[in-house]
Amino acid sequence: MSKIKAALGALLLTASTGAPALAEPVTLQFWTTEHEGQQSYVLAQEYDKKHDDITVNIKHVDLGNMLNDLTRAYATGNAPDVVAVDNPDNAMVSSRGVLLDLDPLIAKSSVIKPDDLFPGPRNSGTWKGKIYGISRGSNTLALYYNADMFKAKGLDPDKPPRTWEELYQDAKALNDPARNVYGLAFSAVGTEEGTFQFLPFVQTAGADYDSIASDGAVRALQFWQKLLDEKLASPDTLIRSQWDSTGTFNAGNAAMVISGPWELPRMQSDAKFDFRVALLPVEKDGSPRASALGEFNNVIMKTTKHPQEAFGLLEYVYSQANRNWNEFGMMSAVKTAVVADPKWPAAYAVFTEQLKYARARGPNPNWPKISKAIQTAIQSTLTHQTDAKTALEQAQKTIKPLLTQ
Amino acid sequence: MTAFFRTFREGSGFDAVLILCAVAYLLVFSAFPLVYNVIMSFQSVDMFSITDFNRPWVGWQNYIDVINRPEAWLIVKNTAIFVLLSIVFQLGLGFGLALLFQQDFPAATFLRGLFLAGWIMPGLVVGTVWKWIFAGDFGVLNYVLNHLGIVTGKIFWLSDPAYSLYAVIIANIWLGIPFNMILLSVGLAAIPRDIYEAAELDGATAFQRFFSMTLPMMRATLGAVVSLGVILTLQQFDLIAGLTKGGPANSSNVAQYWSWQLSFETYEISAGSVIAVMMIAVVIVVATIYVRSTTNEQSA
Amino acid sequence: MKRYILLAVALVSVAVYLFPLYWMYVTALKSGTEIFQYPPTFWPPHPQWNFRQVFLQHSMASYLWNSLVIAVGVTAITVVIGTGAAYSLARIRNRWTSVALFTVLMLQVLPSSLMVTPLFVAFNQMGLLATPRLAVTLAQAAKVLTLYIVICRSTFLQVPRELEEAALVDGNSRIGAFFRIIVPLARNGILVTSVLIFLQSFGEFVYSRSLISEKSLQTATVGLSEFVGPQINDWNGIMTYSAIYITPILIVFVLLQRRIVSGLTAGALK
Repeated sequence: MSKIKAALGALLLTASTGAPALAEPVTLQFWTTEHEGQQSYVLAQEYDKKHDDITVNIKHVDLGNMLNDLTRAYATGNAPDVVAVDNPDNAMVSSRGVLLDLDPLIAKSSVIKPDDLFPGPRNSGTWKGKIYGISRGSNTLALYYNADMFKAKGLDPDKPPRTWEELYQDAKALNDPARNVYGLAFSAVGTEEGTFQFLPFVQTAGADYDSIASDGAVRALQFWQKLLDEKLASPDTLIRSQWDSTGTFNAGNAAMVISGPWELPRMQSDAKFDFRVALLPVEKDGSPRASALGEFNNVIMKTTKHPQEAFGLLEYVYSQANRNWNEFGMMSAVKTAVVADPKWPAAYAVFTEQLKYARARGPNPNWPKISKAIQTAIQSTLTHQTDAKTALEQAQKTIKPLLTQ
Repeated sequence: MTAFFRTFREGSGFDAVLILCAVAYLLVFSAFPLVYNVIMSFQSVDMFSITDFNRPWVGWQNYIDVINRPEAWLIVKNTAIFVLLSIVFQLGLGFGLALLFQQDFPAATFLRGLFLAGWIMPGLVVGTVWKWIFAGDFGVLNYVLNHLGIVTGKIFWLSDPAYSLYAVIIANIWLGIPFNMILLSVGLAAIPRDIYEAAELDGATAFQRFFSMTLPMMRATLGAVVSLGVILTLQQFDLIAGLTKGGPANSSNVAQYWSWQLSFETYEISAGSVIAVMMIAVVIVVATIYVRSTTNEQSA
Repeated sequence: MKRYILLAVALVSVAVYLFPLYWMYVTALKSGTEIFQYPPTFWPPHPQWNFRQVFLQHSMASYLWNSLVIAVGVTAITVVIGTGAAYSLARIRNRWTSVALFTVLMLQVLPSSLMVTPLFVAFNQMGLLATPRLAVTLAQAAKVLTLYIVICRSTFLQVPRELEEAALVDGNSRIGAFFRIIVPLARNGILVTSVLIFLQSFGEFVYSRSLISEKSLQTATVGLSEFVGPQINDWNGIMTYSAIYITPILIVFVLLQRRIVSGLTAGALK
């Protein structure tokens, strides 16, 4: 459509003013895991409309296949120009030398200022001191809870749990097997989502993915195990994605759930109760706050023939960061973005606070393997095939050589 | 030239051409991926070097690495159980149903047609539907079992390592029944009726007729269905992806899914290829047994 | 009396077997949160009829058409190439046919998901990615050819050799005997196997997903992935979509099954 418009525009311009023909029209290929109506589509289409000489072809690729399709396309010379990659994968792609180094373009840019990005998002796009990806937004985890159930069980809905102990006690008080209600829902599934949910627990206990066998990490895993062993969370936590776990919360089958801001629209329509959001509980009073950092980074493939126009798209997405919350269900990655009149203001305040403590996963070019080792440790512990310590030591053995590469 | 046309019209040339067409087609479209996997299993492959054959050669090291992984033997065992139970029950239930619908009763053919539904449903959908049925907390299977008093409490079919593999197998049996049933029905229908009638007159019981006549006459069909069943079971992928993703903790993981996980989730492409090659080795055995078994089969 | 007992047994087994199908339909009618409720509802109190909306929003007409094109193509290629090979492999027993049969089985060992990367690379070299539906058709035909040959071969084995010999004595050429005598006698097996591979190809997923990049050429099963996202899984949508996908095929088969399945009971020799 806009191709025709661009051609028409060019024709009219040359016809009316006799000016030299405009720059050759440019077509950008943009791959995203999002669907029609979500941020990538909306903003890319706007960018396309704003520039008569640029057409953006957007292609949806599902998350599980994104990197495989990209590999194949790159290997056969059919790589797209711009891709939205999941932020923990950014380092892996950067390290393979297939991405465009954005530093020279950023130096000239009046729009993108890396110092204005939150540290987590900025780190996730950086590899060996160079920036290869610009976060299109960010998201993080917090604790949703059913205030009506809190009241029904004699808990104060204005005092959500702040520590693991309180989380455990509240989950126990809220747990009601006779009514098919679990105290807490979260996701320990054997995919990246499981790692995403687990790391904040590890980090508040003073450990991280690169010290996964240390005491803090063991305590975190033992805490998860306690929740499952006492059936305060469903055994199916092991196979449920975050979306499905939250589904059980919305249906009234769990009193609390750990999930992100993307759930708010569905919760609004499906949850028939007073739901509220709180910061993720820390290990004990005084422990550091921690949370996961999600969302995707827009990167430019090294093979692009139109780096300027591709970078223009990244700039445009960056410049619209203040629309992320209200329109696209994600947080901004830019500190300076101001949301004038946020929907769900209470939740917005909590997530904004929580985002300050969100750490990027990695960045490490071997992230998928690291993450897999962590998932295996989580799953074999929660199913009692090994104890937490042994499982995490095994994971550490796998992860250690990957850290230095 | 005329001699060629004559053998083509009259003799063995005709058969050779027919067979070669099919073999050539398969060689063009299937042999390359196979060889490609074999080569990669001996190399060190990076995800962005998939088109470049000039990669570091590491020989058997990839194989040693894969075999030494802690999960390797669990997955081998799971694969064996998965294939064996799937085949036994698909074949048993499929044969039973084929015999049932062979009988003369109202709407028999109509009802048999409905079994094709399982074959029509895309794997992704089958996985999703069964996932809802098996769900521990809100699944309909637990509801029905509790209601009938068969079990009390909830079984976590998909997240309890003691059950997860069997849940996947149950869904796979469901998926394989139409294939077995329809093909065995074709075989049964081709057995001439008059043989049965003669045997019945001789006083043979239904039981005797089944073992002395039906089974031997079905030999070729059974061989084909079983060997294809093994191959198809080893290719079952969507179902596992939809149900358990091999979890929890690999308790329902099988070779083909593991291979995919290594190649496409953690990008250890060489390790994924090693497993693919091991699967090829298994199919070589199955194919040999099948081909052997055909050498003494009788035409009716 | 016996006939009605058999009917009852058959009805029960059909009912048990089709339960997952029923569950798919019911789930399609439930609301997003109702899926997670226990006890589960066997019929939703407020069914949601989203069929029209899903059909239009997800351009299912074009998806289904592409699936049909591919499935017809695969079936045609397979029947043309496979029938003769199955026949010859049934008739002749020697070392070479053993090797051929072995090769045919061997070449279909790997799941599509492990075949697709090398195929993508090869098809790119051959320029086949420019006609992606053809590429999928060719690849999928190679995938189902083994199944077709092995099954049809066992059908041909059941055709009495005397009939063919009699036809040859009557002055038919091999080709004439093949088309006039053998194929008609084995038609049940050919027909049923063709139906099986047609249905399987209609639901092909891995090759279409990877080899077809243009949405307008994409197939119905790949369209399902639109409901699955990193943070959104629209289970009701998936079920509604599948219901739309499955129902017409099911109706066609129930209507045509007189021809397709009932031919089976007739027996090859009547």
